Amino acid sequence: MTGLDDIIHQPLRLRIMAALNALPPGTGLEFAKLKKLTGATDGNLGAHIETLSKAGYVAVDKAFVGKKPQTTVTATAAGRGAFARHVAMLQEIIAGQPPE
Amino acid sequence: MIDSQQASEALADIREIARRVRQSRIYNLASLLMIMWGALVFIANAASFGWPRHAGYIWIAVNVVGLAGSFVVSAFTHSRTGVRTFDLRTLMAFLLFFAFGLATCMLAHFGPRELGVFWAIYFMLFYTIAGLWVGLAFVVIGVGISALTLIGYFLAGNWFEPWMAIVNGGGLVLGGLWMRRE
Repeated sequence: MTGLDDIIHQPLRLRIMAALNALPPGTGLEFAKLKKLTGATDGNLGAHIETLSKAGYVAVDKAFVGKKPQTTVTATAAGRGAFARHVAMLQEIIAGQPPE
Repeated sequence: MIDSQQASEALADIREIARRVRQSRIYNLASLLMIMWGALVFIANAASFGWPRHAGYIWIAVNVVGLAGSFVVSAFTHSRTGVRTFDLRTLMAFLLFFAFGLATCMLAHFGPRELGVFWAIYFMLFYTIAGLWVGLAFVVIGVGISALTLIGYFLAGNWFEPWMAIVNGGGLVLGGLWMRRE
């Protein structure tokens, strides 16, 4: 599958990246909000965020708000670039141009 | 390799998620203002019930505090998200909206009870129309509070102001809290 980003292409990771890319650069989403938006379970979401993080596509920030731990996930510049290329590739497929 | 059907589905999924994120962001930004105005409206209605002769001054004071508070909330939101929820243009829109309402009240010679109903429904009309563009929650809140306001007008008797404190003020606070969860 040349052209399409294998890391982003997985459905849940695509949703995670779509959600994070809808925000202004540098703005993140809390884990709980991301879970609600993507419809994922805790474990599933955590595993896929880990995969995206290892690829350098998202940054994960863990902090305490009061006594509650809060995880915020933000798309990195590399992640935004990869997502934009992936979307462009999907559009090319629809337009009937085979990926290079 | 995926086919064009699968690519279309993936793009539709992306668009839907992006729409939900934008809506969630709008709800989150608007909810603080809604909660603040709800608390003020609750206080104004309760105070008008306690001191009916001073109701006019109470509502003027609440509107001034509300406008000042809107700028404070906007500054707080801006420091966290970079988005201004209340700026000079919004203030101008509010003043124009308010002036039109004031002119209507002067021409229509409303009594105190009708004034209470008019302003509540007039502001809820704004919420409802805005909701057609920014999200269903605004429509539900606007139509719901308007309907409860009319019920109170006909059925609440001497308890109209307390009814309005709960329905209009409480409704906005609850609506704002609900929007924060979305």
